[in-house]
Amino acid sequence: MIEVKEITKNYGRKKILKGVSFTANKGEITCLIGINGVGKTTILNAIMALTPINKGQILINGETINKNMFEKITFIPDAITMLPQMKISDAMEFMNDFYTCWNQKRATELLGFFKLNEQDRISSLSKGNTAKVNLLLGLAMDVDFVLMDEPFSGIDMFSREEIAKVFTSHLIENRGVIITTHEIGDIEHLIDKVVLLDEGIVIKEFSAEEARENEGKSVVDVMREVYQK
Amino acid sequence: MYYPYNTLNVYEPLNTYTKKSCVYIQERIGVVSMNVNFNNRDPVYLQVVRYFKEKIAIGDLVPGEEIPSRRELANRIKINPNTAQRAYKEMEEQGLIHTERNHPSKITTDEKILSKVREALLLEAVETFVTSVRSINVPVDELLNLVRTKYTDDKEA
Repeated sequence: MIEVKEITKNYGRKKILKGVSFTANKGEITCLIGINGVGKTTILNAIMALTPINKGQILINGETINKNMFEKITFIPDAITMLPQMKISDAMEFMNDFYTCWNQKRATELLGFFKLNEQDRISSLSKGNTAKVNLLLGLAMDVDFVLMDEPFSGIDMFSREEIAKVFTSHLIENRGVIITTHEIGDIEHLIDKVVLLDEGIVIKEFSAEEARENEGKSVVDVMREVYQK
Repeated sequence: MYYPYNTLNVYEPLNTYTKKSCVYIQERIGVVSMNVNFNNRDPVYLQVVRYFKEKIAIGDLVPGEEIPSRRELANRIKINPNTAQRAYKEMEEQGLIHTERNHPSKITTDEKILSKVREALLLEAVETFVTSVRSINVPVDELLNLVRTKYTDDKEA
């Protein structure tokens, strides 16, 4: 379980996060939603200790972030971090050299899943395929938690559908996923939990299925209520 | 020993059999799942239960038939595996399916439950129909005649 407890973050004088708390369970997909600049990426960075936080605490399986943690959790940024002249196979080798939790078998499976050719250079790939390679590099790791930053942004509908298939497949079985997205309509049926952020705080944290069952509202309905009043 | 399919060669090793039945299930559910359109405002797990009930009522799923695993279903109709799990739990509680340890779940063979499913779906459809025509205020005989002609016409066409 990832527990985010009352974290605050300032960029200079600007307060981005003013005490954000939520939890993300293993085996569930948690979706962070909020308008641009609300601090979604900052939260993901804070979980990975890529950016210092001013106050608060983040616990992963009950422990604060330490060196061993990086074998249990992976962060997939919104843009690929590999050099463009690399082939996909080079990028995979690079990951293999640097991470002990890299799973070559799963990586090969993912190549097939996304219909990618490992001899292609990253610079030659379309935006959709680049995003798939980016996801592949993160998902092939044997970790408990996967953080995804905007995996759908700027990608065509069919590639989005292929990426969404990941969420219903065995590839994320028993893992915890935290995802940020604006394309909520695409994955409304797939997510377990929604965390709505606005003005530096969590406005609402709810289960998508319970909102439908108890209130007869879709996730988008709840968002409209929260953001458009 | 009980084998679910008559076509099955009993001398086949178990793994080929399992593969065969998996492909079979995939093909069947693959074909029928094309039409699943979830709405956003009803709980997905109840929509899945309803989908299965419809398939049972039409006869697409027959009593005793194996249904896909939870993971497989989630994959096929693109829902959250936890939701698929919940749908199966609900169906088990309603007696629609039953699961033995380490075996695929199967549609119940209990006639009582099966006829109830059909009845309930029919009743629901009729209720929706009645509510929508009631506002037109048509005499019931005229309506029934119209239903009769329309129903047989559509069937023939």
